[in-house]
Amino acid sequence: MLLDEIKSVLSFAAFKADPDDSAVPWGKRYEGRKSLLINVSRGSVSWRSVNKRGRFEEGGVQEGELADSAPQRADEWRGMVEGGWCSVSVNHRFIISLENNLMRGHNCVGLLRTNPRAVLGPKYDRGKRYAICHHPETTASLLLAVEESLVKVTEDVLKTVNLKPGRVCCGLFAMLEHAILSIFRASSGGTPTDFVLIAACEGSLGVLVQQEGQWKDIRCRSGLGPEAVETALQIISPLLAKVPQGSPVYFIGDGHDNKFRTELMLHLEKVGATDLTQDDLLWSIIGEH
Amino acid sequence: MNEYLCHDFKTPRTDTSRRLPSSFRAIPVIFYVALVGSSYVMTMDYFNYKRALKQKTEAQERKKLSEEQRDAFNNEKASLESEATKAESVAQWMEGARNIQPIAVKIARAVQPETRITQVTLERSEQVPANLALTIHLNGSQVPNELATIESALGQLLYRSYSAQQTKNGDVVEYHSTLVRQSE
Repeated sequence: MLLDEIKSVLSFAAFKADPDDSAVPWGKRYEGRKSLLINVSRGSVSWRSVNKRGRFEEGGVQEGELADSAPQRADEWRGMVEGGWCSVSVNHRFIISLENNLMRGHNCVGLLRTNPRAVLGPKYDRGKRYAICHHPETTASLLLAVEESLVKVTEDVLKTVNLKPGRVCCGLFAMLEHAILSIFRASSGGTPTDFVLIAACEGSLGVLVQQEGQWKDIRCRSGLGPEAVETALQIISPLLAKVPQGSPVYFIGDGHDNKFRTELMLHLEKVGATDLTQDDLLWSIIGEH
Repeated sequence: MNEYLCHDFKTPRTDTSRRLPSSFRAIPVIFYVALVGSSYVMTMDYFNYKRALKQKTEAQERKKLSEEQRDAFNNEKASLESEATKAESVAQWMEGARNIQPIAVKIARAVQPETRITQVTLERSEQVPANLALTIHLNGSQVPNELATIESALGQLLYRSYSAQQTKNGDVVEYHSTLVRQSE
């Protein structure tokens, strides 16, 4: 044991971030090592491997639950990783809500994992796992709540096929966070007071409305199939009506099937929506940041 | 705004220890620097040791050669000193060994015609060449006077008689003395 510790110090391994150290970006944690990114949606599982240079390589998608897909793909997935570590995006059985005056600070993220009651107070629910995205300029926050049983089942399923989840996150929420940050970074001359942000990720949809500089509404839905464009529009349309005409509408989306995204964007272009989508956006967010 | 970091709500592990601070990287760095430094010093020491051994061997060879030369010189010196000592002895002996012909002439001239010298012996001392053992056999009536005359004559040559002895054997008087050269 002592020899191992000495070896780890002399090889500088003791100074590298642990594979599951959530305080370090995934790309930095797995610099020079292969890793696997998995997205779990309702009724399908998609994956993508990251090579030693941090570039995306082969990926795939399989219909069915993770518990069914994992044993079938176990050998393939294990060949894509070093040490069995993977990053998992869970895209269903979650709720995103708007909250105000939540605790902020450097230790808030860590505290939310170890002692969520200290951050959320009476809003805390024992059977949920949480993540927070704060409004950069106001006291509003987006609060993600995921079923804890789903997280545990996902972790257990991966453990049975000798994979270790180094991160479990929500892809849709990560895309929303990334888009909000991008919008506020891009608008250095002043953020738009009113806008609508629509995020779609592997059958999940989230719509955030900002009015007069305040987040006013958030709607989300998971388990939407590629044909559910009409359903998505039914969610989006009332929210679009809340903002003044001409207000910016941002769209960000990713998914294995581009049909949903393309058809939805066709409708959104009519209200002047800006497509912030980039190639492999979901994988970039959970595989680099 | 800070760099975006994706959220994470996985079940926290309990078997992890805190990562060492980055400043502690100095420890392995110092270790490797010390390793390289000591390797360099040891390598240089090894080469220096080898060079020193070679120099020591060469020095020992030079020392041996020098000692041989010194011994040869000492032997030669001892030989020369021995020769010098001998030569000095010979020189001293030669210096002390003066001609005896004047003594014989003086003795012959000092004796009267009536007195007959039957035997004159002059023996030089080996140790003190300046000393001569004189033996004279005289036959005559005036022998005592002749002996006094002889001693007087020898005194002119700066010889003095010591332990003079006279024995009479019939008509012959045997005179023995040791002639010692007086310093001038």
